[in-house]
Amino acid sequence: MKYGIIPVGNQKVEEMKQKSDVQQGTLGLMVLKTLQLLGPLHGYGMARRIEQISGDLLAVNQGTLYPVLLKLEQEGAIASEWGASESNRRARFYRLTRAGHKQLQAETRGWEQTAAIIARFFEVKAEDLS
Amino acid sequence: MRALRRLFARVRNFATHRGDDERQREEMDEHLAMQTEENMRTGMPLEEARRQAAIKFGATGTIHEDYHAEEGLPLVENALHDIRYALRKLRKSPGFTAVTVLTLALGIGANAAIFSLVEGVLMRKLPVADPNSLVRLGDHNDCCVGYGVPDNADYSLFSTDAWEQLRRNTPEFEQLAAMESGADYQRVVVRRQGLEQAAQPRMGEFVSGNYFRTFGLRPAIGRLFTDADDTQGSSIVAVMSYEAWKNSYAGDPAVVGSVFVVNTQPITVVGIAPQGFFGDHLSSTPPDFYLPIQSAPVLANASYVHDPTANWLDIIGRIQPGVNRVELQEKLSGILRRALTPIHTFSSEQNRALLPKVHIVLTTGEAGIRGMQEQYALQLHLLMAISGLVLLIACANVANLLLVRGMNRKAEMSVRAALGASRSRLIRQLLTESVVLALLGGLAGLGVAYGGTRSLLAMAFPRANELPIHASPSPAVLAFACGLSLVTGILFGIAPAWIAATAEPAEALRTGQRAAAGGATLLQRGLVVVQTALSLVLLVAAGLFAQSINRLQHTDLRLESKNRYIVHIDPQAAGYLPSRVGDLYRSIEQQFHAIPGLLKVGISTYTPMEERNDGWSVQIQGQPDLHVSASDVRVNAEYFDSVGTHVLLGRGIGPQDTPASATVAVVNQSFVKKFFKPNQNPIGHHFGTGPKSAADFEIVGVVEDTVYTSVRWKDHAMYFLPILQRPASDKTPIDQDDDLYAGTIVLATARPTSNMESLTRRTLSAINPNLAIVRFETFDQQIADQFTDDRMIARLTLLFGGLALLLATIGLYGVTAYTVSRRTGEIGIRMALGAERIRVIGMIIQGALIQVLLGLAIGVPSALLCVRFAEAILYEVNGVDATILVTAILLLIVATCIAALIPARRAASIDPVTALRVE
Repeated sequence: MKYGIIPVGNQKVEEMKQKSDVQQGTLGLMVLKTLQLLGPLHGYGMARRIEQISGDLLAVNQGTLYPVLLKLEQEGAIASEWGASESNRRARFYRLTRAGHKQLQAETRGWEQTAAIIARFFEVKAEDLS
Repeated sequence: MRALRRLFARVRNFATHRGDDERQREEMDEHLAMQTEENMRTGMPLEEARRQAAIKFGATGTIHEDYHAEEGLPLVENALHDIRYALRKLRKSPGFTAVTVLTLALGIGANAAIFSLVEGVLMRKLPVADPNSLVRLGDHNDCCVGYGVPDNADYSLFSTDAWEQLRRNTPEFEQLAAMESGADYQRVVVRRQGLEQAAQPRMGEFVSGNYFRTFGLRPAIGRLFTDADDTQGSSIVAVMSYEAWKNSYAGDPAVVGSVFVVNTQPITVVGIAPQGFFGDHLSSTPPDFYLPIQSAPVLANASYVHDPTANWLDIIGRIQPGVNRVELQEKLSGILRRALTPIHTFSSEQNRALLPKVHIVLTTGEAGIRGMQEQYALQLHLLMAISGLVLLIACANVANLLLVRGMNRKAEMSVRAALGASRSRLIRQLLTESVVLALLGGLAGLGVAYGGTRSLLAMAFPRANELPIHASPSPAVLAFACGLSLVTGILFGIAPAWIAATAEPAEALRTGQRAAAGGATLLQRGLVVVQTALSLVLLVAAGLFAQSINRLQHTDLRLESKNRYIVHIDPQAAGYLPSRVGDLYRSIEQQFHAIPGLLKVGISTYTPMEERNDGWSVQIQGQPDLHVSASDVRVNAEYFDSVGTHVLLGRGIGPQDTPASATVAVVNQSFVKKFFKPNQNPIGHHFGTGPKSAADFEIVGVVEDTVYTSVRWKDHAMYFLPILQRPASDKTPIDQDDDLYAGTIVLATARPTSNMESLTRRTLSAINPNLAIVRFETFDQQIADQFTDDRMIARLTLLFGGLALLLATIGLYGVTAYTVSRRTGEIGIRMALGAERIRVIGMIIQGALIQVLLGLAIGVPSALLCVRFAEAILYEVNGVDATILVTAILLLIVATCIAALIPARRAASIDPVTALRVE
């Protein structure tokens, strides 16, 4: 009798790491800010704008935008409807709602505060504390 | 707020299944198309542009998953998937599912049924306002009417006078209520005035005016008692129970304010007690009518109400917040001592010495007077233990079945692990399966519990009307069953899940079947051993209880029950004064003798093998007071013949014993043994109830020891008096002497008479339409009633023992069958090498027997040990009978052989060639 060797081995299959909340939240904030600046946009346009604004520093797959859009929409921060793109393709356009405006303001303040606190820590020197 | 809105959207999507998958796909397609166009604009060829766009977008599969997870409730969805999968899997192996669910259903059902009873009887609080602030004065249950000093001068029963003094002097109580202790025997005959309707026997209870206020109750309609209702001379009012109102009077609101004839006296029903209120104590015959204490002398000719030496009341009070119970107990004892000092009971030298010891123990009143609780506590705890053992056996079975299944699915799990399922995912799936299984079992168990509780209640209280214990499972029982099944599922699901899920995929797949050829694991065999041991204990218990009930039922009761009927009556309720009952008894004797085929008409206060017992202290004239009491029965001339008691010496009670003739008594053998020296002739001696009345009765005859009250009452000294004779020392007016009231008529006929009950009814109502039948039974039925509890326990232990045997057999079969299937290859080789079939069968059976013998080695000493706990309930059974033990062991061994023979035969029929080809 012959045994076939099946190449499965003892590989441990790691589960996909969940994206951390901060990352998700950041992407959401970027979406909100972009929509506030530029008005209604479709997913592709938003992805391009975010790339453009962040330079090449943000290496995120464009696709990850869509779950975030869904989440924001379910939270009521944005709303969406079908429309025609610049090249006359069917596309779904997202716009900021009133609740989204408020959320953006609140989160902007929060970020600025955090950034300011962190900045002070970076600027501080040993002799300042003596 | 945002999180809430998001959750709401998710739940909505999940519930409506309205995932926007289509929209998402379209959106993503458009996205890719736009990016491709963009790329082409930079000069890429179409293929490359598409590829780059896809790379930039990321893995669509993962994004789709994320999107989907964001959309709905992934955790719930996974669980639902698992449950659906588990159900599908279970449907695929119906045998396994059926056996497991049935095993669990029986185990959990039996426990839930017993627990229902425990909850209904032992854990029940009174359905009243704030039961925790109720206290009871007294710590034991004396019933009915007591004279003299209780044991240790520990008072639990009080006179009306003592209650009034206690109540007047204790501001520590918001209310202190008194109630008749003998309510379970207080039958009243009731007819609604203005209706042409025969008088019906009902249950009554005499209670104080503040009774309902003490319990903080509100009437369903009308009003409840006030103190003014419970005063001497006021017109009599009554409160009807809600259940009696609904069931007997169809909830007619006109009942309130209308007049009823209770024991021939008109009374007015002023209100209906709240629904569910069953009085101050749990009873299978709760009161239908609550009546004021002060109406008892009129309605029940109860002379004891105004007798300060007669103790007949239970007392329950509602204590003020913040009162120290120890100090209160001291104070109450002091008040009682002062109240008792002047009464006649403490006039004798001897009792005066007991006065300083007089005390009251306060106990919790949340369950009222705990008579039934004390009566059934031992039996219920025993049943709990037994059903617990059955559950253990059931759990061992389920664990075994799950283990076998888990191991058989090792290969499946390996493949799934190889395909990338994580270990936690596999365990979760397997656990879901066993929890689903356990919950199915629990659900079926609730059905079993409902049916079980119903038949238990019917078995325990065959004579109950409006029993305040219900079969439908309460929230506690539901929680108990669900909790039990969940724990079983998780506990016995973890091990198999772990074993199956820790399989190293490669190894399991490579080695196929041969690696685990060792058969059942130690854990499995251990479970079978434990099962066998437990089953033996239960079988022995079943044997012992069967023996006990057998001995009880075959005791020689020294009576004749064939073609005899016992009719309970209540002349007092029919309006007869004691001075008039002589005429009544004469008409009863004459009218019944007119019925053809009727041989004897006995009339007595009570009969053999019923609950009632009247007892008095006995003082033989010319002998020192032994402080021993004996039971007394008042009888007519034909009574001894009617119940079949034989006269051994002298004469019985005869027609010559009239109220005018000398007062005589007939005593039984135990009486002679207790009060006279051996060989001393008791005939001609006189005795009475105390030093002053020692000349009251002259002994004219001795009868054999017919069993009264209970078979368990050995050496029961008794004396019998002519029913109409009153001793010279009794100076009370005749119309206050309720000893003259007969309670039963005994009818002896020549042949079975099927229409005896209607004949009796006709005869009695011809004498007096108010003379209702309180209870009609054949003598045999009355005797059988006394064994109700013992029979129930015997039947249940037999049932549980059989169940245990069945479960253990299934368990053993499971393990043996599994072993055989794992050893198919090995057996094939053995047989190919020349092993005979019979040897193979022997080998398999031997393996099974070893486990059972091990189980027996543990079980026999455990059984011997456990018997001690049951001995208090057993009748004339001391230690384990060898026959029972041997029978139980043989039963188990036979069951083992049957369980092992089926797989053994399968093993022996293995064709070596096929067996080897399996690998």
